[in-house]
Amino acid sequence: MSGDATARAILIGIRLPRALLAALVGATLAVAGVTFQTLLRNPLADPFILGVSGGAACGASIATAAGLARLPGVVPIIAFAGACGATGAVFLLARRREYTDPTRLLLSGLVLNAFFSAVILISFGLSRQSDLAAALRWMMGTLFGASWSDVALLAVLLVISLAILATIGNDLRMLAFGEDDAKSRGVHVERVKLIGFITASIVTGAAVSVSGIIGFVGLLVPHLMRLMWRRDFRFLLPLCALGGGVLVVLADLLSRVVVISSELPIGAFTAVLGVPFFLSLLRRNR
Amino acid sequence: MLALRDVSYAYEGAPAVDVITASFDPARLIALTGPNGSGKSTLLKLAARVLVPHAGEISFDGKRLREWPAKEYAKHVAYLPQDPDPTFSMRAIDVVVSGRAPFLGRFAWERDSDYDEADRALAVCDATHLGGRYLDEMSGGERKRVFLARVLAARPRLILLDEPLASLDISHVQQFSALLRDIVDRTGVTVVYATHDLNWAAAYSDRMLVMQRGALALDATPAEVMQPDAIRELFGFDAEAVRAGGRAWLVPKVG
Repeated sequence: MSGDATARAILIGIRLPRALLAALVGATLAVAGVTFQTLLRNPLADPFILGVSGGAACGASIATAAGLARLPGVVPIIAFAGACGATGAVFLLARRREYTDPTRLLLSGLVLNAFFSAVILISFGLSRQSDLAAALRWMMGTLFGASWSDVALLAVLLVISLAILATIGNDLRMLAFGEDDAKSRGVHVERVKLIGFITASIVTGAAVSVSGIIGFVGLLVPHLMRLMWRRDFRFLLPLCALGGGVLVVLADLLSRVVVISSELPIGAFTAVLGVPFFLSLLRRNR
Repeated sequence: MLALRDVSYAYEGAPAVDVITASFDPARLIALTGPNGSGKSTLLKLAARVLVPHAGEISFDGKRLREWPAKEYAKHVAYLPQDPDPTFSMRAIDVVVSGRAPFLGRFAWERDSDYDEADRALAVCDATHLGGRYLDEMSGGERKRVFLARVLAARPRLILLDEPLASLDISHVQQFSALLRDIVDRTGVTVVYATHDLNWAAAYSDRMLVMQRGALALDATPAEVMQPDAIRELFGFDAEAVRAGGRAWLVPKVG
């Protein structure tokens, strides 16, 4: 009987929120990825390209160096602040004369990410050895310690951002033909870009702050969905949410069972699972 | 229909369109020409509402452009940029039906009637067979047809095309010019297209606008524009006129 109760506690308290968080993080990153690729008109864009992950990691690593990481709940909050700060900075750098130039955005993100890497390395040098393992695990992405409050927070943010992106779905679809073309079709391009970028950045920041940096989902899943269905943004948005969720749940499962009693970085498994699938699709479409 | 009055536009202080006044009537094929950098693209973008004039006024149906709701204007006036290049390859039918976007509500999807319009537009452009194909599997000439169909799908009254003949071979230039002429004659739409090809423009258009350093240097019939003296002054091109088929063709003066 008590064994049953323990199993139940593990299922409800640990396994279930973890699986749900995996699905939510995957959905969020893939949704943000397809949004960034559409807005920047760049197939290499991912949710981290504008410095969101760098800012979050920077915040987390400074918190670690300052010894704050041992306090519960501090890393996610500081990471989220870092993500928002980075997004704001990239926008201030890229925007001039009420026009946000995609190339300037990409360059600003690139440069800021390089700066954040430097700060992260310095912070690690200043951190205590015992704190470093946790910080590194976070940098490689982890769903360890997922809680119901994380699940609730991310679920709410994901639903809100999906709703916002759906309202500008028709406009984002038109952006695929270029900004001038979209403008001539009655799309308020600058407004749509601003809403899209901010929505995708905030929700990415939230995902990163609860799960660390899980690479590849945001880049790969939109391409996977596009290869499988070849449709426009309005179709891709829900498809990416589903595909991203499935991929990260599977990757998380693998990361826990491949080596018993140890957790391998989940970000590696999103690539291990996704890349062969992606390559086979790419071959089939040639 | 569309009227520009003293319209000017400058990029970072360098004037691109300089105090232009012109107006366009229904059912005309109008060629917009002029040397590189003379402001043709900018003029088209101003008319398409991609850019907002720094001075002067543009009105459509007697109503100033800024009083037109953006989507409402897009139902009447369609614009095709010089090199439309979607980030990801799409099927032609999806490209064409996206031309119906100004008619869609915020959350609405294309209906059967929108696909009917798209099919009709493809047929007009002689491109029905391309409907199911992907853009990256097409030749340059086929892509141009698909994008022209996209513009037609909204049944606009004014169509603005930025160098639609660029990079087409000579037989496709003729086919495409004839297609524009045919669309104008059959549907009563007005087409304004930027082009560098004076002879083709003169052969097919009703009227030619020649720009020079942002200003409208000449607004006249093809016969009036195709004078060697005028061309030499406007383009710095030494030409002589050769008569054939009842009209003047300009050929380079050699030697």
